Amino acid sequence: MFVQAVVSGLLIGSVYSLVSMGLSLVFGVLDIINFAHGALMSVAMYAAFVLVRSYGIDPYVAMLVTIPLLFIIGVVIQATIINPVMDAPLHNQLLLTLGLALFIQNLLLVLFSGTPRSIELPYASGALALGPLAIDFPLRIFGAVVTLPKAIAFIVSLLLAGGLFLLMQRTPLGTAIRAAAQDPEGAELVGIDVRRIYLITFGIGAASVGAAGSLILPFFFVSPTAGETFNIIAFVVVVLGGMGSIQGALAGGFLIGLTQELTQLFVPGSSKLIGVFALFILVLLLRPEGLFGSRT
Amino acid sequence: MKRLSKLLILVMTLALIASACVSGTSETTTTPTTQAATTTTSGQATVTTTTAPAATTTAAAPVETIKIGAIHPLTGALAGAGTKMDNAAKMAVADINEAGGIASLGGAKLELLSADSTGAPEVGQAEAERLVGEGVVGLIGSYQSSVTTNVAAIAERSNVPLVIDVAVADSILQQGYKYSFRVQPNATAMGKYGAEFLNTVATAAGEPVTKVSYLHEESGFGTSVFEAFKAAAADYGIEVVAEIPYGAFTVTDLTTEMTQAAAPKPDVIVVTGYYNDGLLAARAAKDLAVDVKAIFGVANGAFDTPEFTADFAAGAEGFFDSNYHYNAASTKVADVRDRYQAQYGELMDTASVLAYQAVVVLADAIERAGSTDPTAIRDALSQTNLSDHLMAYPGPIKFNSAGENVNAQPVLMQVQNGAVQQVWPAELQESQPKYPAVSWK
Repeated sequence: MFVQAVVSGLLIGSVYSLVSMGLSLVFGVLDIINFAHGALMSVAMYAAFVLVRSYGIDPYVAMLVTIPLLFIIGVVIQATIINPVMDAPLHNQLLLTLGLALFIQNLLLVLFSGTPRSIELPYASGALALGPLAIDFPLRIFGAVVTLPKAIAFIVSLLLAGGLFLLMQRTPLGTAIRAAAQDPEGAELVGIDVRRIYLITFGIGAASVGAAGSLILPFFFVSPTAGETFNIIAFVVVVLGGMGSIQGALAGGFLIGLTQELTQLFVPGSSKLIGVFALFILVLLLRPEGLFGSRT
Repeated sequence: MKRLSKLLILVMTLALIASACVSGTSETTTTPTTQAATTTTSGQATVTTTTAPAATTTAAAPVETIKIGAIHPLTGALAGAGTKMDNAAKMAVADINEAGGIASLGGAKLELLSADSTGAPEVGQAEAERLVGEGVVGLIGSYQSSVTTNVAAIAERSNVPLVIDVAVADSILQQGYKYSFRVQPNATAMGKYGAEFLNTVATAAGEPVTKVSYLHEESGFGTSVFEAFKAAAADYGIEVVAEIPYGAFTVTDLTTEMTQAAAPKPDVIVVTGYYNDGLLAARAAKDLAVDVKAIFGVANGAFDTPEFTADFAAGAEGFFDSNYHYNAASTKVADVRDRYQAQYGELMDTASVLAYQAVVVLADAIERAGSTDPTAIRDALSQTNLSDHLMAYPGPIKFNSAGENVNAQPVLMQVQNGAVQQVWPAELQESQPKYPAVSWK
C-alpha cells in the first residue's frame, strides 16, 4: 500500500510539475497571475480528445498538434488581451484572467456540452516492445502498479521539463526571457524586444498545458472544468517551489503528489488535500519565497 | 509589484482552497426547524384564505401562461448533468403544451424559467428567490443535495411547491416542510435496497458476501448513502471493513484509495460518487486488477450511464449499480428518450428522465388544482397518485406526509456485453445478473 501511494504520488506529481511550470514561467516573467491556466488546459484536453475521437489519431501523436496550437493560442491571448493591461493595476489583471477563464469554460460548455468524456489507450495493457526489450504493462514495481499511460506521462513530463530548463538556461531566447524577467527596462536597453519575449513566454506557458492536457487524457477525463482541478494544485506548487523557478515547479509538483497520496494513507477520513495545504502553510511560514525562490 | 503579487496570490490561493474544501459539504446548513414550523402554520392558514379568491380570479379571467421554475447546475463541474436535465424539463413543458396545456385552466400553457445554480448552494438559493419573485407557481430541481437543501427552504418560506427531481440526502425532507416533494428514492432507500440487492444477487449465486469495502465521495450525498447502506448491510451479516471517503471535485487519481479498499481483502468493493470520480475509481480498480468478486455502485453517477460503457469499454463489463432508473420496458419511456436523442443529439440519462417526470408531476397537480395558487397546487401535489409514470418503481408516484415518494425504489443494473441492463428485481429484469463479475479475472 505504501509503495503504491509513493508510486502514484510520483506519477501524478510529474503531471503537476508540468502544469505548474507554465504557470510559474508566466508569473516570473510577466508578473501576471494567470487564472485562465486551468481553462487553457481544458482547451488542450478537448483538442486532443477531438483528434483522438474524430480523426483516430494516437493521443501522443496529438501532442504534435496540441502543443503548437496552445502556443499560438497563448501568443494570441497575450497579444490581444494581456498586453494592453501589462501596466494596469494588479487587481485589473486578476479580474481579466479570471474573466478569461470563465469565458473559455463556457465556450467549451457551448461547443462540447458539459458531459464528461474520456478516451482509452488501445495498447494500454499487454507487452510493450522497446527494441529487444519487452515490458509487460501494467508494470508492477514492488507490488505497486504502474500503467502505461501514467508511465508515458511521467517520462514525457520529465523530458519536457528538462527541455524547458535547457531552453531557459542554455539558449539566447532563454537568456532574453530571464533578462526580461529580472529587469524589463534594462533588457529593452540592450536591444531585447520585451513585448515579443512576453508573447513567447505566455505561449510557452500555454504550450506546457498543451502537453499536460494530452498526456493525462488517457487516465483522466475531459470536461469544461477538468483543467480547474489542476489549476488549484498548480497555484500551490508555484508558490511552494518559488515563483518563476522551473526547478521549483518540478520539485514542488513531486512534493505535492507525494504529500497528497501519503496523506490519504496516513490521515484517514479526510480530504487528501489537507496534507498538501498543511505543507503549503508550513513552507510559507518558514520560507515565504518558496523552496527555490530567491530571497530578493 | 512583485511583493504585492506575492501577497495576492497567497490570498487568492487560500480562497480557492477554502472554496474547494467547502464545496458540496454544506449539507447541514438548513433553516432552523422553528422557522419551518412557523411557515408551516402560516402556510396552512393561507390555504383557507387564498384558495377561494384564486378560484374566482381564474373563473373571471382565464390564465394564459403558467410560469414554473427549474434550477439545475448549468455551468461548473456538474454542468453536464444539469444541462441535460434542463433540456428534459423544457421538453416536458413543450410536450404538455402540445397536448393542450392545462385543461382545467382553459388550456393554459406552461412556461419554463430555467435557472443556473452553478452547483453552489447559495447561488441556487438566490435563483430560487428570483424565480419566486418572477411569479413561478412551482419549482423543480436541483441535482445536488446541498443546493436542494437551500432551495427547499426558500420554497417553504415562499409557500411555493418544490418537486425534487434528483437529490438524495434524507435531511432535506426531515425539516417538517410542507412544500417539498421528492420523486427519486432518498439516501435511506438507496442504501437499504443497495445492500438488499447485493445480498440477493450474491446469495443466489451461492457466494454470500460477508465483507465489503466502501469508497464514497465525502459530501452529504456519499456520506448519507454510505450510512444507510452500512446500517442495512448489518442485517444481512455484511460487514463494512473499510470506509474511504474522497473529495469528488478535487481528486485527480484514486489508485491509492482503491489500494486501501482492496487491502482488507473484501468480497466486494462498493462505490458511491458522481461521474468523474466514478470513472477514476473504475479505472483504478481495473489497473490494480483488485481481487474482488464485484465492483458494486450504489447511487453511482457513472456505472449505469451510456458514457461509461462507451468511454471505458475495456473495463466496464460486469460493473453493478443500484440506482434510480427509468422503466426500460415502457414504450412511453422509449418514445421520450428517442425524441430527446433526436432533438439534443445525446442519450437521455435517468437524471434527465427524472427532470422530465418532475415537470409532469407538477403539471398534474396544477391540472387537478385547477388554480395557479401555489398553495392549492401544493395541496394537489400531496394528493398525487400518478401511475402512468416513467420510472422503474413498483407502484404509482405518491407522496407521504414528509413529501417522500412512497414507491420510489432503485433498480439493480449491470453492464453486460457493453450495455447497461436491468438485472433485479425480477419483474424489471432485462437479463440475469452475473456474479461474480469482474472483467479482469
